[in-house]
Amino acid sequence: MENMVAESFKYMILGMGIVFVFLYVMVLVLQLQARLIAKYFPEKPADSGKETAGIDKKKVAAAIAAIQHHKNLRK
Amino acid sequence: MKKNFVAAILLFFALFAGQAMACESQCASTTVEKSVAATHTEDHDKSMWQLLTSFYKTTGIYAFTNPKDGVVNGEGEEVSRFHQSWGRIIMIGITLILFYLAIAKGFEPLLLIPIGFGGLLANIPLANMTGDHGFLGVIYNAGIANEFFPLLIFMGVGAMTDFGPMLANPKTALLGGAAQFGIFGTLVGAAALSQFTPLFDFTLQDCAAISIIGGADGPTSIFIASKLAPDLLGAIAVAAYSYMALVPVIQPPIMKALTSKAERMIVMKQQRKVHRLEKLFLPLIVLGLSILLLPESTPLIGAFAFGNFAKESGVVDRLSDTMQNALINIVTILLGLGVGSKLAAEKFLVGDTLGILILGLVAFAVGTAAGVLMAKLMNRFSSEPINPLIGAAGVSAVPMAARVVNRVGMDEKPGNILLMHAMGPNVAGVIGSAVAAGVLISIFN
Repeated sequence: MENMVAESFKYMILGMGIVFVFLYVMVLVLQLQARLIAKYFPEKPADSGKETAGIDKKKVAAAIAAIQHHKNLRK
Repeated sequence: MKKNFVAAILLFFALFAGQAMACESQCASTTVEKSVAATHTEDHDKSMWQLLTSFYKTTGIYAFTNPKDGVVNGEGEEVSRFHQSWGRIIMIGITLILFYLAIAKGFEPLLLIPIGFGGLLANIPLANMTGDHGFLGVIYNAGIANEFFPLLIFMGVGAMTDFGPMLANPKTALLGGAAQFGIFGTLVGAAALSQFTPLFDFTLQDCAAISIIGGADGPTSIFIASKLAPDLLGAIAVAAYSYMALVPVIQPPIMKALTSKAERMIVMKQQRKVHRLEKLFLPLIVLGLSILLLPESTPLIGAFAFGNFAKESGVVDRLSDTMQNALINIVTILLGLGVGSKLAAEKFLVGDTLGILILGLVAFAVGTAAGVLMAKLMNRFSSEPINPLIGAAGVSAVPMAARVVNRVGMDEKPGNILLMHAMGPNVAGVIGSAVAAGVLISIFN
């Protein structure tokens, strides 16, 4: 080895460069992916949650009404 | 009547069988005796005293107290007198210290106990367990010399890793890159010290294998060391795992020295919810990038991506469960014992080890500092506030480094929970150090 330091310095530039290029490209692809997925596969669970809640409320109301009706009949 | 008859028959058969067996053993013993007699005729006329002294020479007491020249270890290398006696005793002491640290202090017990015990077994005289046909040697050749076990561990780590926090804020992944400066900065430092000072005498390959400790990733360190500098493997693995265990001690002072109180108190925005598909595609994206940019890193990243893909696919829970529990546990046992075989006195008690321990610590500190500085820089230029502390989690050491960040943040401002924000750079650091390892392999192959 004539000059290990110069050699290792080159490795450092190359290594850090590739690590950053890799991660930077990854970040770009991930941001693009997040946008695409948000556009074409929008998340629905929040809406469906509201719907089920609505249905439940109606059912609860119906059940209460039925019980009340039953009690009224008994009187 | 019937009973008696059965008993008589049984007795008859028993006698018959016994006779047959006796004959067999007799026949066998005569042949064995013949061969023994042929080779060791002189053994027969030993007195009791001679027998005792020759037995004494096969005891550990004799081997420890009477080192001889020309003794070879399992790999056929000569072992010096010091390494046969005091060296082994010192190494056994060191393995006991490793046990103490693992049991009483809780330092990475899952690895330090198998490694320590492997080291204890490797220092037993005469048993030659590290040889090609020895217990530890077989394990070493089966999975460490060919870099197989570290890959299996990486697969399990992939199956355990949740990339959600990184996907929620991809920019923080760059911090996982900055921390890799610990690797390359130390590479230059080690090369300079070897060239300009008489302290160390490492080749460039050795320097690269040592500086990978800065990646704070056990399996990657073992993978690189077994490829580039197998002789230094024991010291590198012990240094890597000890420093990972010491993350809560090493990192906080560096983090505090490089940040102001105001910076440490920065509160980060709550993370967005991540779509399931994003998590599913992530391992494929990472693998695709490494195929295009750096195929040399695909053994590590491929194993990691496979583990993560199996987890996120959600349909092979059995496989991902095996990878993150049963398989990784089995491989940890074997990896630990195999690495321990390199703690034999003649390998570990050399000047190089001290250099490795010092350079490893430097690599770790430099990596932490680079991560924090990069996070400070990003905080300057980013629209959303970034707490510079999370940069320290860019060294892999999952999830310990992220927990340390969280604790330092809480100390400064109770209720400021940085854990999830720190997990992003933390898992990106795993990818970053695998990429750095790929670069080093591509340079030296």
